[in-house]
Formats: sequence, structure tokens, C-alpha cells
Amino acid sequence: MILSARNLKKTYIDSDQRIEVLKDASLNVEQGDLICITGKSGCGKSTLLHIMGLLDAPDAGKLYLEDQEVTSNSPSAPQIRNQKLGFVFQFHYLIEDLTALENVSLPLMICGESEGKAKSKAQELLSHLGLAQRLNRYPNQLSGGEQQRVSLARALINNPQLVLADEPTGNLDPSHSQEVWNLIKSLNQELNQAFVIVTHDIETAQTADRVYELTDGVLILQ
Amino acid sequence: MDRLERFYLKRYLKKPKRNLFRFSFVFMILGIMLSVGILSAGLNLFQGYETNLKRLLLDSFAHIGIQSSYRNLITEQQREMVFDRLSQRKEIASITPCLESALMAQKGDKIRAINLRAYDISAGFPYARYISAGEIPLQEKEVILGHYLAEELGLSIGDEITLNYPRLDRITPLGIHASQDKYRIAALYRSGFYESDRSLVISNLSDARALLMIPSGYSKIEIRLQDADKAAAWSKEYINILGPELISIPWNLYAESLLHLVAIEKWLIFIVFSFLVLIAGINVISAVTTMIIDRNTEIAVLKSLGATAGVIKRLFAYRIGIIALLSVILGQALGAIVSWAVEKQSFYRLKGEVYFIDTLTADITFFNLVVVFLVASILIFLCIVLPLKRIERMQVIDILRHKQ
Ligand SMILES: Nc1ncnc2c1ncn2[C@@H]1O[C@H](COP(=O)(O)OP(=O)(O)OP(=O)(O)O)[C@@H](O)[C@H]1O
Ligand SMILES: [Mg+2]
Repeated sequence: MILSARNLKKTYIDSDQRIEVLKDASLNVEQGDLICITGKSGCGKSTLLHIMGLLDAPDAGKLYLEDQEVTSNSPSAPQIRNQKLGFVFQFHYLIEDLTALENVSLPLMICGESEGKAKSKAQELLSHLGLAQRLNRYPNQLSGGEQQRVSLARALINNPQLVLADEPTGNLDPSHSQEVWNLIKSLNQELNQAFVIVTHDIETAQTADRVYELTDGVLILQ
Repeated sequence: MDRLERFYLKRYLKKPKRNLFRFSFVFMILGIMLSVGILSAGLNLFQGYETNLKRLLLDSFAHIGIQSSYRNLITEQQREMVFDRLSQRKEIASITPCLESALMAQKGDKIRAINLRAYDISAGFPYARYISAGEIPLQEKEVILGHYLAEELGLSIGDEITLNYPRLDRITPLGIHASQDKYRIAALYRSGFYESDRSLVISNLSDARALLMIPSGYSKIEIRLQDADKAAAWSKEYINILGPELISIPWNLYAESLLHLVAIEKWLIFIVFSFLVLIAGINVISAVTTMIIDRNTEIAVLKSLGATAGVIKRLFAYRIGIIALLSVILGQALGAIVSWAVEKQSFYRLKGEVYFIDTLTADITFFNLVVVFLVASILIFLCIVLPLKRIERMQVIDILRHKQ
């Protein structure tokens, strides 16, 4: 088992209103899984993914990574985010000042790789994702689909155990969206890369190994 | 240094226009430059004053004065003894016997109190460098006059002046019996030390003996050392060498407290002006804060990629730090230029009667450069580091949710 989320709870208190977003959410991810999570807008999908990505803390419940309990504010959390997990946001969140190549090199340099080595690895990966011609472009010189592929590359560069993607195609038109999906599927099949993907697109979600729906703060296998 | 830090640092230095010289940094740069400039200029001028005052005190007075223990004159035998015992010593630059007295100088209806110092000028006169006009050695009945004194009395070289020695022990029914004579002004004396320049008259020993009716003996023996800073120590030794009849007084006894006072004043001014740098630091704090807000997405992304708060803080600190450091150095250059300009200008002169010396000079010492650099850098470093603490508390999710 790569990652196991057990009985996660998360409640937001907004003014005097209590929103119980996650009540008892549990999920197990195995090597090579491609899991989709769907649900109504505002049901807490992003919240769940952030907790699994160690970007947010649950109010109760536990998270295990390779059978070790992990929390978002432990001293080892940055290292886990860097090496074991990859995160793709709905909006690409590439650093505007850096080229595609530099953006993808960042996680490598953060874990201590030299600039030269990091860049050559990043170049290899970007070429594999069909972006060989875009290496030195800045994010604002790339199309939406390209931006999202670059941020996928950034999530993959450190060979993480698991990639978490929050509506990676949410901002894209259907053809670009398909392009990114195909890429995810081929990475899953060729490299056995595990993914947990939040999506609105129920049709594409059906092509995954497992699909969960998040309703009333609980994950239900479809 | 971390690889990521090295990567960012390289970017900053490679593309300074894009990363460093931003409009948002202009006020920060100006603030630092001006405050550091004023701080350095202030320190340079005060240092100049201190150095100048000390040099004048040491150059225009004896480093060690040998006097009689009983407030008598030093006798001829005692003078010989002093020469015998001290003249071979390596630390001594010169030994000059001197006769000294307070007198009145008179020209027409103007009368001034003056200080007569008489030397055997042909045997060696340690203050020759202060002769600003005219020539020495002196002929008979010739004197050197402090240049302010000459100015006040409206005298110049070649003119005559009457020196008057009122002898209080010769009061007769007709009044005070005075000894007086006329002297020709052969040279003017200008040391920059205001008190000397407005009250000093220097004559030959023989003329002074006649006027003061002192056929032999000396008021004191002036000793000049190779290294004036050792005066106190040598002076102690001379007391042992010269025996109980004579006392030896180093310059420190009179002047050290004054110099201490000036030095304290200098560092007080330095502390006050350092607050200017702290005020400039407010601009630094605001520049850092603005940068954190502008770049909060980058901070969140770096955190989500596993960069620690410490590394991210350093990435930002380098960026501001490079500019701040550059501004400090430019500020120090500005300070040097300002002090040079103050030295060269002629609108404002110091009031000699208040400050002892009448010219403003700046003195840029390596020590002071380092002190200004360190103090400014530390203050600004704090102004960079404190607001960066905020990065530790920033939560990835809070930032990214706001952006959506
Ligand atoms: N910081 C917060 N304070 C208060 N309420 C919050 C906060 N963050 C999220 N919420 C609320 O929690 C709920 C779940 O948010 P979340 O973003 O996880 O939903 P989602 O399923 O991802 O929705 P969408 O499909 O629109 O992205 C929403 O109702 C949201 O308003
Ligand atoms: Mg969402």
C-alpha cells in the first residue's frame, strides 16, 4: 500500500456556521492505481486531496504513507512532499519568472540535485511529454494544455510514489483536456505510476480503475 | 548553500534588471543610501575633528613638560642634568628649554593679554612648521606673533609691538613699576589651534630674560617624543631618572579628558545617526513585505514542492540583501563625497573660540568604514529577517484558495 487515508474529518467554521466537509473519508491507494474522485462542487474534494498531499491537516483521522503515519506539519513533511508525492493543481501554478525547463527542475534542486543535472533530467521528461520545443518558454508563452503538461512534469520529476491531481483538466477545452488525460493514462500504464485524480468529468472518470464519489463527507466506491 | 539557493542567486545576478533593480525598491535604495551617507559623513567629520584636535594638541605643545617640583624656575644645573640624562634616549625627538610668562601686548590704545614663550630659537625650534608668514630665526628684539592676535591688533610683519611685564612686587607710590620694550614682528604663527593663534608670542630667550628680568633659569623643559601616545609611560620613568627636584607631566594630564569627551561625542552622534538607518529600515521592511505579498503564490508553490520555510526565506533575503548591501556601499561613497565637499567649501567655518580649531576636516578611517558598514548591515539585516518570519506561518492552502 502506498497511501492510506483513514477516517478523515474536516470541519470549517465560517462566521457562526459549521461546515462538516469531511466526516469519515477513507481511501487506500496501491501501487499502479488510477483512482478518480468525483462529487458535487463544494463537497470537499479539494480539501481531501490537500490533506492527502500533506498541504492541509485533518481535524481527526490518520494518514499513512508506506505504513508510516505522516502529518502535514511534521518536520519531515517538506521532504515527503518533495520526494514521495506529486501535486497538480487545477490552475497550473507554474512560477512565472522561470522557464518550463526551470519550473520542472525545481523539485530536483530542492532535494539537492545540481542545476545542470536537474535540467538535463527535466529536459528528458519534458521531451517525453511532447514538450521538447517548449523548454525555454515562460509559462505565459504556453497554451493551457502545455502549461498543465509542464505542471504534470513537475509533479513527476522526482519519481513520486503517488501523483495527486485536483481537476488537472478543469481549465482546459475538450481537446486539450483529452490530451492531458491520455498522457495520465499512458504514464499509468507504461510506468505503473499511481494517480489520484479529482474530476468533474464523470465520463472520463469511468475509464479509471476505481471511481469514488464524495458525498456527505464520505467516499463511496462507484 | 542549498542548490536551490544557488540557482536563485545566480538568476538574480545574471538578470539584475528583472530581479534586483525594480521600481518597488527605489525608495528602499534611496533611504539606505541617504541615511548611510549622512551617518558616514557625520562620522568622517567628527573623526576629522578629533584627529585634527589631537594632532594640534600634540604638535603645538610639549608631549612631556619637565618642571621644578617647588614651582621655582629650573636652574641651569638642573637643565644640564636633564640633558645629560635624557638627550641620548631613542624615544625622544627633541628637548627644548622654555621660559614662559603671561604679559600684556600693546599697540596704540589696544591692549591684549598674551602668553610669551621664549626659546633659544637658533638651537632648535620645534614649531617651525606653524610659521605662516615671515622668517625665522629671529634677530634681536624680534618676535613671532599668533596670526589672530596680529589680526586683532591690526599688525603685520615688520610692524612694532610693545610687550609689557607688570611687576606686582614693585608697586611704588607712583603705581605699578612695569618693564616694557618694543619688538619687531618677524613672523606669524598659525597652528589652527585657536587659543594659541590668538594669544601666543614667541621670542628669543635673551630678549625674554631682559624683559622679565630673569637672568637665568627656565620655566620648563619641553620634551617631544617620537610616539606621543607613550607619553604617560615615559613620563613615569623620567620621574625616577630625574629625582625629586623635578616633576614630569605628560600631555595626557591636560588634554586626554578633552579628547575623550570629543570621542564620546563622536560615538553619541554615531548612535543618533544610526537611528536614521533604522528609519530607512522601515522602507526595507515595507519592501520585503510587499515582495512577500506579491510573490505569495511562488512561496506556496515552493512549499508544496517541498522547499522548507528556511530555504524560501533565504531566497528572498538574498534578493533584498544584495540590493541593500549595494545601497550601503553606495551610501558610504556618498558619505565620502559629502565630507569631501564640506571640507572644500568655504561658506562655513568652525567658531574657533568654541571648538578650539577653526577648519572642518574629514577623516575617513578604515576602522570607521568597517563600523558604519557593519552597523548599517546589521540593522538592515534585521529589517529583512524580521518580516520574512511571516513566511513560516504562511499556509499553502490559504494562499492558493485565495487565488482561485
Ligand atoms: N478556509 C475555509 N473556510 C471556510 N470554508 C471553507 C474553507 N475552505 C473551504 N471551505 C468550504 O469547504 C467546502 C469544500 O471545499 P472544497 O474546495 O474542498 O470543495 P470542492 O469539492 O473542491 O469544490 P469544487 O468542485 O468547486 O472545487 C466548500 O463549501 C468551501 O466553501
Ligand atoms: Mg476543488
